[in-house]
Amino acid sequence: MKISIEWLKEYVEIPEDVEKLKQDLTMSGLLVESISEYEGTPVLEIEVTSNRPDCLSHIGIAREVAAIYGRPLRMPSLQRQLHPKQDNISFAIEIVDPDLCPRYCGIVMTGFHVAESPSWLRHRLECAGMRPVNNIVDVTNYVLLEFGHPLHAFDFKLLQQGKISVARAAAGQKMTTLDGIERELDSEMLLINDGAGPVAIAGVMGGLESEISLSTDTVLLESAYFQPASVRRTSKKLGLSTEASYRFERGADWENPVPSIARACFLIKELAGGKIAGGLKDVNPIKLAPAVIELKQSRAEAILGVHLDEAFVKSTLEKLNFKPKRSGKGVWQVTCPSYRADMELEADLIEELARFYGYQNIPARYPASTRAGVPSPIFHLESSIRQILRGLGYSEAINLSFAGESEQREFPVPTSERIEILNPLTEDTQFLRTSLAGGLVRSVKRNLNHDVNRVRLFELGKVYERDAAGAPSERLALGLLGAGGWAGHNWQNLSGHFDFFHLKGIISTLLSGLRCESYEIVPADNVGWLDPLQTGALMVGGKRIGYAGALNPSIEESYKLKEPVYLAEINLKELSPYLFRPVRYEALAKYPPVERDLSVMIEREIPFAAIYKGIQGVGIAELVSVELIDIYEGNKIPPGKVSITLRFIFQDREKTLTVERVQGFSDNILAFLRESHGAERR
Amino acid sequence: MNEFIEDLRRQFEAELAGVTSLDSWKFVRDKWLARESGLITTQMKRLRELPKEERPAFGQAMNQFRSFVEMNLEAGLAKAKEAGAHGNKKRIDVTRPGFPYALGNEHPIKRLQAEIEQVFMAMGFRIFDLAEIESDYYNFEALNMPRNHPARDAQDTFYLSELTLLRTHCSSVQVHAMEAMQPPIRAVSTGKVYRRDPFDATHSPMFYQVDVLVVDEGITMGDLKGTLDQFLKRIFREDIQMRLRPGFFPFVEPGAEVDISCIFCFGKGCPKCKQSGWIEILGAGMVHPKVLRMSGVDDSRFSGFAWGMGIDRVAILKYGVEDIRLFFENDLRFLSQF
Repeated sequence: MKISIEWLKEYVEIPEDVEKLKQDLTMSGLLVESISEYEGTPVLEIEVTSNRPDCLSHIGIAREVAAIYGRPLRMPSLQRQLHPKQDNISFAIEIVDPDLCPRYCGIVMTGFHVAESPSWLRHRLECAGMRPVNNIVDVTNYVLLEFGHPLHAFDFKLLQQGKISVARAAAGQKMTTLDGIERELDSEMLLINDGAGPVAIAGVMGGLESEISLSTDTVLLESAYFQPASVRRTSKKLGLSTEASYRFERGADWENPVPSIARACFLIKELAGGKIAGGLKDVNPIKLAPAVIELKQSRAEAILGVHLDEAFVKSTLEKLNFKPKRSGKGVWQVTCPSYRADMELEADLIEELARFYGYQNIPARYPASTRAGVPSPIFHLESSIRQILRGLGYSEAINLSFAGESEQREFPVPTSERIEILNPLTEDTQFLRTSLAGGLVRSVKRNLNHDVNRVRLFELGKVYERDAAGAPSERLALGLLGAGGWAGHNWQNLSGHFDFFHLKGIISTLLSGLRCESYEIVPADNVGWLDPLQTGALMVGGKRIGYAGALNPSIEESYKLKEPVYLAEINLKELSPYLFRPVRYEALAKYPPVERDLSVMIEREIPFAAIYKGIQGVGIAELVSVELIDIYEGNKIPPGKVSITLRFIFQDREKTLTVERVQGFSDNILAFLRESHGAERR
Repeated sequence: MNEFIEDLRRQFEAELAGVTSLDSWKFVRDKWLARESGLITTQMKRLRELPKEERPAFGQAMNQFRSFVEMNLEAGLAKAKEAGAHGNKKRIDVTRPGFPYALGNEHPIKRLQAEIEQVFMAMGFRIFDLAEIESDYYNFEALNMPRNHPARDAQDTFYLSELTLLRTHCSSVQVHAMEAMQPPIRAVSTGKVYRRDPFDATHSPMFYQVDVLVVDEGITMGDLKGTLDQFLKRIFREDIQMRLRPGFFPFVEPGAEVDISCIFCFGKGCPKCKQSGWIEILGAGMVHPKVLRMSGVDDSRFSGFAWGMGIDRVAILKYGVEDIRLFFENDLRFLSQF
């Protein structure tokens, strides 16, 4: 709300120093965002919160200033006589739907000339950010800015049958508003009709047909009180917010219609020479009563944590035009001003006391807690993942949770039904993401484009899909992405390109750090965004709970990525029950382990997992570990075969292993490999 | 005869002095002391060539010489080992760069989020992990923002269906906490929230918030101020000043806007604080009686306070980030600064 200092001074005396006024208004709840100047006049830009529509005017702000400084408020001149000796023009007002319009005042003026307003008035409108139109329309706007009450002026001669009827629209009814747009109405929208049809959408905007023009010589002024929720609903539904709807939907003052119309009459008479031709009609089928709220001083003290004097309570409320009536010791029955639409409960009055007591004067207390804090159920999981991955060189990414149609196509999740946003901002944000992959691929692209060529990212975030019943649901997922060299350039030449097995190594290290019970990665080819030849599914507890692999070459190409990209996504909701296996100490072995290597030649097609699991199944209790330490494929061995070197570690917890026993173990393993997989020793 | 042994002694001393490594020491040792071919043994053989009367003296002198050699070799061993250690090998250049192990970076928002949760845990709060997909009831209705409430304008909302939405704040922790537990309640929730703002330097349709609720008997606005004061000091700096002024949020009454002294100019006035010396940081207040009642808490017996703050906003202030989009673009040139 723009408030002209020069205009404000008409109603109340203000401090010489505008900065002081700014400070005091701010600390009483009216944030002065800035002080600017319009053609030599200082203008305050005040942020008026939605609970204080009474402050959306110069008099409204003046009332607050008067209360803050304990100074009197000077009200402007009004037209006293609102009824001519004899009505020259007759008109009628009918309220069909009083639930949406408890009060409607109208008056008819004539004998004026529509012209440009005087410069002082135009200046004031401009200070407040309004564009002057002509003296009649300008007066209605002036009164809006002065009293905060929206008025409307109809060209009376264009109203059919000189009749106003306030009623709900018929469904599908249409009318063209002042802005020239034809609008379709529904049956909950309130209309102002003349004898023939709609002439205004109540409290929102007038109609084009009855607009004031240079040839207007008779005007019907409207000053009404419309039900706030109804105006808001209509304004929202039509996507049409005006100065009038802004005030009505927040709650106008139902006592304001008559003073406002009287002020407008006064100004039209003064500025344009108009006179009243049809006296005031004040149709008020539902009389609204001011709120009366009981205030217990003890309650105010308990909420604010300070002691209050009865005198302070009484004087504060009176300064703000409340009427407190003492009904017992420290108990008040408080009648609220009609313009305070925000007054409903005792707590509202307590805030008024706090505002004038000064928030800054309430002493701080430090409540002690005797209970230990409780972390969220995922705190341990998330912080462990973060710590491990950070140590492994991965930086944490956060992507927006949205995905567009194209990303949904590129990164589909096989079984889930995506969730659409009914009112998205853009096409790119039309859906909630079903996978973390899309965001991570966009992130790697951005980095590669900026010549950051070694990229390691992880994201811990929600993905969203409909559950079996079709309800929107979300779950925590972990995304991993690696691209570029596995180490930075270094003079030791320890480098090489990041590949699938680096990614798998990260997953294994992470899972062992999280004390995952057991897991394996099995071949998979059903993830659209991964290369079917380089994809693995992460199996935990017999379920597929994630994927890892090389980005599908077609996506790599369409994103023009200059490094091969490897990606994994893990469902943490499914994983978490298998994590943090309890620690149980095992006595340290007393006898030394024995290491033994074995090289065999074997069919290339035999997966390592089959060999590994088979060896575990041979039944050697002393076998502590099996490592794959070398793989050779090449011209020294027949095509279709590979040579693998395995390293075994054997250990007997009871006694030192003899050479003979170790040889026996090794022979058993070789025999197994020979029989089950046709291996030959090299 | 003495001259003969004296010559041997000189020869031995010269050779021992020339020892530069364990190997050359061993060579000298073997040359002189080897059982069969050592010089002492071979020279002892000269005994037979000597006249009988000279033999005892020669033998004694040679034995003394042997002891001398043994003693000196013993003494030279340590020096030989030391010399040997440096012998053929050269000193490494310790000024060359070490292996480039890479540490990943913390995301500034996540770092702050963890810091904030830790401050609250230390103050005895329970941290709630709540869903981002929320019902209209928890996000608005139960927080005293019924349908058609103008305050909903400030929180333009993404809807998934008529009554399902992406939460616009974490304030629903108030309702969830009051439903989940009885007073005393000390609850906090942090996480992503969504508002229908276009993505630009100062707006993002997704950002992070922290919301706080305390409900107990006898909770006052003084408790709100004290808890806020502790929190802001931990998150910003010990000498931060705080200012509360009346503000409006439908779920609190009295409501407050909380400002901190400008962390750029220390309250003197600068462009960042629009010369006011203060920066608006969060919204707070005493829990609205209607909110208590709707969640089944007796507002005549219990009172409480609540506040909510944007975590991104704190990150912007603390690290001087000028464009909110940087938080969600995952540019490693940005992330590597944290």
